[in-house]
Amino acid sequence: MEKINSDPSCIQKFRPVFQSDLYRTTVEVNGKEITGLLLIKTMPDSSIRIVFSNEFGIKFFDFEFSGRDQFKIYSIVPQMDKKPVITTLRKDFELLLFKHTDTGNAYALRNNGEFFHGFPQESGVNYYVTDSACGSLIKMQRASSTKPVVEAKFFPDKTGSPDSVDISHKNFNFTIALKHIPKK
Amino acid sequence: MHKLIVLLVLVGITATVRAQYPGYVQLNDPVAFKLQFSAASQTIQTIQSDFTQEKNLSMLSEKIISKGKFWFKKQNLVRMEYSEPFQYLMILNNGNIYVKNGAKENTVGTKSNKLFQQINRIVIDCVKGSALDNPDFIAKIFEGKTNWIVELTPKAKTLGELFQHINITVDRKDFTASVVAMYEQGGDYTIIHFINKELNATIPDALFVH
Repeated sequence: MEKINSDPSCIQKFRPVFQSDLYRTTVEVNGKEITGLLLIKTMPDSSIRIVFSNEFGIKFFDFEFSGRDQFKIYSIVPQMDKKPVITTLRKDFELLLFKHTDTGNAYALRNNGEFFHGFPQESGVNYYVTDSACGSLIKMQRASSTKPVVEAKFFPDKTGSPDSVDISHKNFNFTIALKHIPKK
Repeated sequence: MHKLIVLLVLVGITATVRAQYPGYVQLNDPVAFKLQFSAASQTIQTIQSDFTQEKNLSMLSEKIISKGKFWFKKQNLVRMEYSEPFQYLMILNNGNIYVKNGAKENTVGTKSNKLFQQINRIVIDCVKGSALDNPDFIAKIFEGKTNWIVELTPKAKTLGELFQHINITVDRKDFTASVVAMYEQGGDYTIIHFINKELNATIPDALFVH
């Protein structure tokens, strides 16, 4: 991939806007499946809350993303309360929420007509991949220094919040699929 | 002076208990209630009803409302089918929990999972009325004009992490549950209302098979 000049801030127009959005959610880990409802809500103070419950209403976790990089766990079930699980979920959601995309030391690469807008993180890089005109968002990637680790796609709808989201991990069996439940 | 203090403390305790569920008084001796409950449960072979479930995320001022249909058949068969705002089916049968979520299916044998066993048991107990005999909970009973509230507090740590307590509102008419309210640590709660209840209608076994 070659480095190119492309204004990384062009991706901001793809940033999803969540008001209070409910998603039918399936999480698959190593062949096991958990399903439920994921609520993503922007609070009056602009922080974003993400709450995942099963269909009966039992809450799996309740996270808050605020400021530039604040992350708070309001609650989490013991089975998920493990550092690698929390870190993975946190980073996946940060990718989806366009966190740490203030331009800083961002750069752009070209690969076969796709433009990779890279935003270095504490470790690794988050890429937002668009067409050459930065007119459509093809996918998002979290990469280590050598290869992609997570790939995410979302399919927007008219309201600005995604209609569906797919997140898949490359180095172990873990996928998250979200499908928007429209409000009546 | 000593007697006055004791009296004030007793009044305070009683007042606190009364205020816990306004309009309800705690039964200090629940034996009579348990006997009536048990006798009524013997006469119930099946229950079918509609339900509305309201999940309250109190800090977020959000309610998630879902609806569906519910079936119970003695001794331990339960079918809970959500139709709005998503399709989701759960069948409890012979110690197994079968779940169908959209097109995907999954069966969990409760024998291998203690938490699932406990949840399986709570669901059946709430419906069947055997909650009072469930050793995983401390039960308190509060009597009101048209119903009772059975308050269940988990003894075990694992269940206690999920729920602070579960309240079952039992109809005076027929001793069946009309409301199940699950209160989580942290202020969130889920309330399930069972409506349009039909008792002892014929329900085919096929409904509990997948």
